[in-house]
Amino acid sequence: MKADAFRAGKEAAERALAQGAFANARLALVFGSSWFDQSALLQGVRRVLGEVPLAGESTAGEITAEGPASHSCVVVLISARTASWGLGVGDAVDRQPRDAGHQAAHAAMQQLRITPRNGFLVFGDGLVTSYAEVVRGFQEILGTGALIVGGMAGDDGRFASTSQYADDRVLHRSVIGVLFGGAVRMGASSHHGFAPISKPRRITRAKANILYELDGQPAAAVYREYFGSEAVDRMQRDGLTRQGIAYPLGIQAESGKEWWLRNVVSFGQDGSLACSGEVPEQAWLQLMIGSRDLALEAARHAAQQAIRSLNHISCVLVFDSVVRRTLLGAQQAAQEIVQIRQTIGLSVPIGGCYTYGEQVPSESESIVNRTAVQTSSVLVVAIGT
Amino acid sequence: MNHYLTYIALSVGVLIIAVLAIGSLSSLEIVLFAGILASILLYLVFKAQAASRQVEELHRLQAAYDQLDQQAKLVIRTDLELHRIQEELDRRLASLMSLHQLGRQLQVSLQPDEVYAKLDASVVTNFGFSTGLLGLCASMETVEWRSLVGVNPDAADRIKRHLESQQLLKELLTHPLPMLLDESRASSPAQQELLRLLGMPSAVVAGILPHSGPTGCLVLGRTGGRGTNPKADEELVAILANQLASAVENSALYEETWGSKRELERKVQVRTRELAEANAALVQLNKSKSDFVSAVSHELRTPLAAIKGYASLLYSGQFGKLSAPQAERIAKIEKHADLLTQLITNLLDIARIESGRITMEHQVIPVGEFFPVVHDLVHPQMDAKHLRYQVDTDGVKELVGDPQHLQRVFVNLLSNAVKYTPDGGVIRVGLKRENGSVIATVSDTGCGIPPDDVPKLFQEFYRANDPINQQVRGTGLGLALVKRIVEAHHGKIAVASEHGKGSTFTVTLPAA
Repeated sequence: MKADAFRAGKEAAERALAQGAFANARLALVFGSSWFDQSALLQGVRRVLGEVPLAGESTAGEITAEGPASHSCVVVLISARTASWGLGVGDAVDRQPRDAGHQAAHAAMQQLRITPRNGFLVFGDGLVTSYAEVVRGFQEILGTGALIVGGMAGDDGRFASTSQYADDRVLHRSVIGVLFGGAVRMGASSHHGFAPISKPRRITRAKANILYELDGQPAAAVYREYFGSEAVDRMQRDGLTRQGIAYPLGIQAESGKEWWLRNVVSFGQDGSLACSGEVPEQAWLQLMIGSRDLALEAARHAAQQAIRSLNHISCVLVFDSVVRRTLLGAQQAAQEIVQIRQTIGLSVPIGGCYTYGEQVPSESESIVNRTAVQTSSVLVVAIGT
Repeated sequence: MNHYLTYIALSVGVLIIAVLAIGSLSSLEIVLFAGILASILLYLVFKAQAASRQVEELHRLQAAYDQLDQQAKLVIRTDLELHRIQEELDRRLASLMSLHQLGRQLQVSLQPDEVYAKLDASVVTNFGFSTGLLGLCASMETVEWRSLVGVNPDAADRIKRHLESQQLLKELLTHPLPMLLDESRASSPAQQELLRLLGMPSAVVAGILPHSGPTGCLVLGRTGGRGTNPKADEELVAILANQLASAVENSALYEETWGSKRELERKVQVRTRELAEANAALVQLNKSKSDFVSAVSHELRTPLAAIKGYASLLYSGQFGKLSAPQAERIAKIEKHADLLTQLITNLLDIARIESGRITMEHQVIPVGEFFPVVHDLVHPQMDAKHLRYQVDTDGVKELVGDPQHLQRVFVNLLSNAVKYTPDGGVIRVGLKRENGSVIATVSDTGCGIPPDDVPKLFQEFYRANDPINQQVRGTGLGLALVKRIVEAHHGKIAVASEHGKGSTFTVTLPAA
């Protein structure tokens, strides 16, 4: 496995280099399958690229210009001519999320001493559910002007351990942030394509990512009303399946136009539901339904909106929820990448990964400081000028 | 109803205020006030009715809303089932695709070890599993892992020891079908321990069982439960195990065939080398023989010349008149000395040609001059037997070679023809040009050559066992010398003969 990992990293870096003449200093963004020996993977990349700054994460599948991939490695290179950046790492994101946010943002700011700061690209542990706190930590250091976007690391659907990459280090339970500044600009947009299907329920009791009660009833009981006991028992036994993720919970934003999606990741003994992100009390919650057509349409919209404010696009990163890949199936998932490429231009370099969560820009004024934790969505990030 | 009570309460309140106010008002004001009061009451009655209708409407909407929510539940449950089937189909499709791809890869696996390295993460995940171990079993008691997917080496080592120590390995290597292990179902403590070591709630284990006997084992672990269709899982894993077994068998056969081929090639090389060495030794031996013959012949020529000289002198009567018996004996000495001289000359020429000491000249020889000279040399013998001599040059004007040596070739062939052709027979010389060569044939209408003698005809000292040879003395070197001379011209000689009808010698010489 080590030899395979080294070769995969090396070949991905060679492919990235072959795509264009890059100046000496460059930033490497790496998305690697969790099946590989992670250290060997990075060694393979660095054997080709040398001591370049490197950030990235393990995935639940990789995205290349050719389409969705698995058990592979993708390297995206950003040239120093087009971008200035600072790279920061925050540790123990599960235990001290806000501190981790402070730590990563502060380190990145130390490296990038120029203004304006135009965007903060985030890679984090996808098994951690406290990213709202992490983002607060970022914003307390960076202010609210910088766009904060990113995707959360996966481990090919095993939900055991994810990895984050910083230079030659393989980290866990961490968050990596790349702060872009100077002339470089970042455009980002996210859509999910899910629509509400159930009647709204008031979240009457919740704490962090645990949803206890809806309309005063145990949340799991309400969940059972819709899915039936047999299906819920199967979900409890088999973990996150297509059936469960096809119907995420939608938390209505105060604007009433957006829904923040949460997947149910486990069932508590007390009838509670553990969700993939924070659940605010007193918000309205609805069960959402998705379809392949809506999902494809969402990808096209996200790509359109991500590039609309840029004059020149250097590269495009796609962070697509593993939920969507499962929902779309192999053929439609490939079609999704084709649609994004057709929208941004076929000559634009593209790379990315399937994630366990997305940090997305928000159009809602009520969402604090223009950023929100999302699941089941596709996030398109365009980097350029 | 609540709304009615509200409006009644309001009306009563208005009436009480009116009664209290009436006492201090004039008649006109009372009329005016009563009118206003009546309007208010009418308005309140109207509002009460409207509110009642709105409440009814709201209830209907609420009921419709709840109905929609109930329908949503039905939609979700139906859709959920469709998703479940779709998911199962997708997984089966991925498994089958993976089997297909794996099959293609296995077809080109040329060694059993290569087969065992083919289990990778894509195969494991496409089959819907999270971990996979594929091992080579040298016996029913030992396994060596060759492919590990999603399992670290320490855990793999613990699983190996568990399989080996708990008879589990033997069990799965003697079980014709894959075994499904599930922590929620009754299974042996050893199987439960295997699941614990895998860190998985369910697993499928199978032996790799080619016809030649068990060679390996496959362990696939799954994070979820047994899946919706464990029987189908079992069948897919059985196909995978069979495919691996066939590949192991094929690669072993290939290895065996390849090994045999290599062994055969090695033996051929050894034999070729031995033959080349033997051939070199023979060449060397032949050269030594030629050198020896050459040296001995040289040494023999001088005394032979002396014998012949003295015999001639004796025969000429210089040392006194010879009696008839003496003259006859001396003549025999001379005749045998001549024969011996011819033998030695031929031997010397053969030795010289073989050792490369004679270089053939490369001259253009006009045919019109060459064959008459040859004919002149054999003419007396032909005439003595009344033989007819015919030459057909077929437009060939010239030969290329050494005139003196080629003359010996054709004189020899014609002499042989004369010798074996009975009186009144025909001897033909034919020429033709073909593919850059001149082909010359010397045919006779003689007794022919026995088939057994044909292959040995050009060997030195070989003489065909026929009545004529028994009567006529010869050296047995004539045709051997002819062959050497022709080959020294880069040509070849062949003979075709039919017993009782005659023989044809064919000499092929380069035309330029």
